[in-house]
This record gives sequence, structure tokens and C-alpha cells, in this order.
Amino acid sequence: MKAAFAAAMILALPPAAHGQELGRRVFTELAQPPCKLCHALKAAGAEGKLGPSLDELQPDKAKVLDQVTKGAGVMPRYDDKLTPEQIEAVADYVAKVAGR
Amino acid sequence: MRPDKSRVDLQRRMLLAAGASGAAAGLSGWSPASLGQTAGAKPLPAFAAFKDASRVIVHSASGIETRREAFGTSGVTDTDILFVRNNLAAPDASINANPDAWRVEIDGVANPRALSVGELKGMGLASVAMVLQCSGNGRAFFGHKASGSQWKVGAAGNTLWSGVPVKALVAALGGVREGMRYMTSTGGETIPPGIDPNSVIVERSVPWTAMEEAILAWELNGEPLPLAHGGPLRMVIPGYYGVNNVKYVKRVAFTVDETRANIQSSGYRVRPIGVKGAPVQPTMWEMNLKSFVTHPAGGSLRAGPTQVHGVAFSGGSPVSAVEVSLDGGKTWRAARFFGPDMGRYAWRQFVLPVTLAAGAHEITSRAIAADGEVQPEQRIENERAYAHNGWRDHAVKVTVA
Repeated sequence: MKAAFAAAMILALPPAAHGQELGRRVFTELAQPPCKLCHALKAAGAEGKLGPSLDELQPDKAKVLDQVTKGAGVMPRYDDKLTPEQIEAVADYVAKVAGR
Repeated sequence: MRPDKSRVDLQRRMLLAAGASGAAAGLSGWSPASLGQTAGAKPLPAFAAFKDASRVIVHSASGIETRREAFGTSGVTDTDILFVRNNLAAPDASINANPDAWRVEIDGVANPRALSVGELKGMGLASVAMVLQCSGNGRAFFGHKASGSQWKVGAAGNTLWSGVPVKALVAALGGVREGMRYMTSTGGETIPPGIDPNSVIVERSVPWTAMEEAILAWELNGEPLPLAHGGPLRMVIPGYYGVNNVKYVKRVAFTVDETRANIQSSGYRVRPIGVKGAPVQPTMWEMNLKSFVTHPAGGSLRAGPTQVHGVAFSGGSPVSAVEVSLDGGKTWRAARFFGPDMGRYAWRQFVLPVTLAAGAHEITSRAIAADGEVQPEQRIENERAYAHNGWRDHAVKVTVA
């Protein structure tokens, strides 16, 4: 029920907002483990402290794509856990909202 | 910039730094630290607030490097300029309030048990001078934009550590159990629930024989080990890259296999660009043969006599000689070592007195090891930009007027 409702909500949004909403959901719940567990990102209500604060780092989209796809240091790679569309969306989202 | 409190100071510093040349004369009570800040410089993170901001480069909240010109000539890298690299956020500072109470579990020995730092202090004592260097030191010189801190030369330092020799500890606990091939150290960072610990935990395995030289250290450069450098207790393995020197060490186990933690199995593996990390690839253990010039550090110089100096080190066969080139490697001259010889795991300082003529110079150095190995000219291209010891990229360009 909840999922169907959420899906309907997303479909009702304009395309750009759709991507942003998907990006936020990847960040907070779809990625496993979710980005928010380790990273702080005020816009997503994320207060993870294990990895760097994205509000401080303010990575551009290319940087997020790189990190999410390849991993870095102890951060796992997500290229086998998320779809290309999801990775694109989360990179867009983080690049847009970090530091806001 | 956001208006939270930790930023306010930075903002002020940046504004001041931006107008430094004009405004400096008119300001009093202005700390020298802010003089060195360039516009856009990141602030020191709270756990490393004691660092000298004017002599380091802050890459991120978990990555700080020493400026090339800051190394000086005393041979030891002061803690206030020593690089910092943490794979995970440091634990809360409260863990270092009473260092003697920190406990470490020792396993894979005949009589496994947990010991406090207070107890370790009664079990043996050693002090070692050694180069601590990040695997990615020199990453900035690679051309493929490898992710990670863009270290130049300063993710390295020559440091003095005191603690209990691991072999003394192991002997007291009845020796290593038969068949163990690795010494595996686990960091004490708190992993939030919901994350598979193996995916992010800082846990590194090294060949078990590394225990011969390893110490569990509680003191750095004559002071209690700061949180930023792994206090209350750090595994210190002379000759090995920094990542193996596990901070906030809470467990040391002698194990049959390498840990399955990502940081061991796929992280810190040397492989071609574009290839995923895997356990079959070489891991970052022993440091290679390397040297670099620390003075001049670049820029403009006046013609005349100059002491070209730098540092040379190796995790394997010890450094036996260093040569310096003023012309980008066309000709080489033998440098002389100076300062104390602090042992095979420390760096040696070298110097070559020269008279620099007007014009452009490309100054670099190459180390030669006791076994005849010569520091190579070129880096080895690899995905994560590790282990750079090529002398060509480490050269400094100076203009002499």
C-alpha cells in the first residue's frame, strides 16, 4: 500500500523533481547499506558520522558518480547494488543539495 | 559557507587571508596560523585542531598533509605538522581521556586475553623511529584522477613511537598458535547498526612475522598518542604503509587467513586502471624505495649557493645513497647524508651544496638501496594511485633570478 502510494506520488511529480525524489530515496533507503548511515546530508535529514559529511565535502556530480561506482577507501562500491538510473539520481541529488 | 559555529572562525580566517598582503601590517593579535591560509582553504577538523594550519594542507576532515617546505631539517616530523588520514571518522575523544583504561584483545596465541594499556605498560618497552606514509602519497601526480585525497609529498613523516613490543606480549601469552600466518589488527571505530561490519571496518592483516618489529604504541614524538594519530593505542609496523598501522586498536589476532574486511580484500590492492580490487592483487604492505627534495620546494630563488636537501627511505633494503639532479635527471651528483641515523625504518636526510645559476631548474633526487635497487624514474600506473616513488613526478621546478 505504502509503496504503491509513494510510487504514485513520484509519478505525479515533474521529471526533474522525480529524479531528485529518486535520488533522495536511494540516499536514505534504496542503497544497501543506505548512504545516510555513514554520511551527513542535512537536506536528507542524514546525520551519519562514520564517513565524511557531504555538506562539508560538497562533491560535484562526477565525484559522487566516481565514489558510488568504484568505492573509495573503506566505502563499498555500489555499481553492483544499484541500477545506473539510481546511481545517476543519487549523484544528481547529492551534488544539488549538499551544503544546503 | 553555512552559518554553523565551527565555520565562523574559518570564514573570518579566509577573509583575512584573502586580504593578507594589504591588511597584515595593520592587524595585531593575529595568529601566525592564519597567515598561511590561502583563500578557499578548508578548516582543520576538530580532532586535529592542534595542527599548525600554516604548514599543512587540509584536503578533508580526514585528510591533512604536511607542506613540502614544512619538513625542516631536524629529521623528525613534529606532531603538529604530521599528516592525518582516517578511513572512518575517529571515535569520540572520550576514549582518550584515560588511555590506560583502553583494552585490547589478543587472540590466536596460546593464552588469549584482553589487556588494558595500563597492563601493557608493565609488559615491555620499545621505541622506534620510522616513516609513517599513506599508501596514496603522491596520488596528485597521477594523471587519471584517481579518487581519494590528492596527496603530493606530505602524506609521510618520520616519527618516534613508544610502546610494548608485540613479540614480548605474545611471549607472555604463551606464543602464537601453530599454523597462524597473519597478524590481524582491528580498529575501534564505532560501526552503526545496519552496516555489515566487514564492509567498512578498519581491519588489516599483515604477514605474522611482522610482529618481530611491531609495537603497540601509546606515545608519539614524546607525548601521549593523540586521538588523531590513533590514541589511546595504535598498532605500529615499521616499514609498512600507514593503513596497516591500525588506530584505536581493539583487537590483535594471529589468524590463518587474511581478514575478509573490504579494506583488505578489495581496498588497498594494486591493479591496472579500471580494474576492480580483488584479493589476488598485491596489497599495500612494505613501502618501496623513495626520496624527495624538501628544499627548495619550488618557486623563485636568488642565484648563488643553496643547500638542496631532502629525505630518503625504504621499507625493504635500507637506503645507502642518494643522488640529486638539478636538470631533470640528465645528470646526477652524489648527495651526503646529514643528521642522526635513526635506523633502517626512519628516513635519512640528504644534502647537496650547489650554486644555482640564473634560469629554470628541475631539481629531484633518487635513492639507492643497499641491495643495489635504484628509485625508478616513472610511477607505476594503478587504479587507486598507490605507491608512487617515481623521481620524475617528485621533482621541484625552480626559477633562479
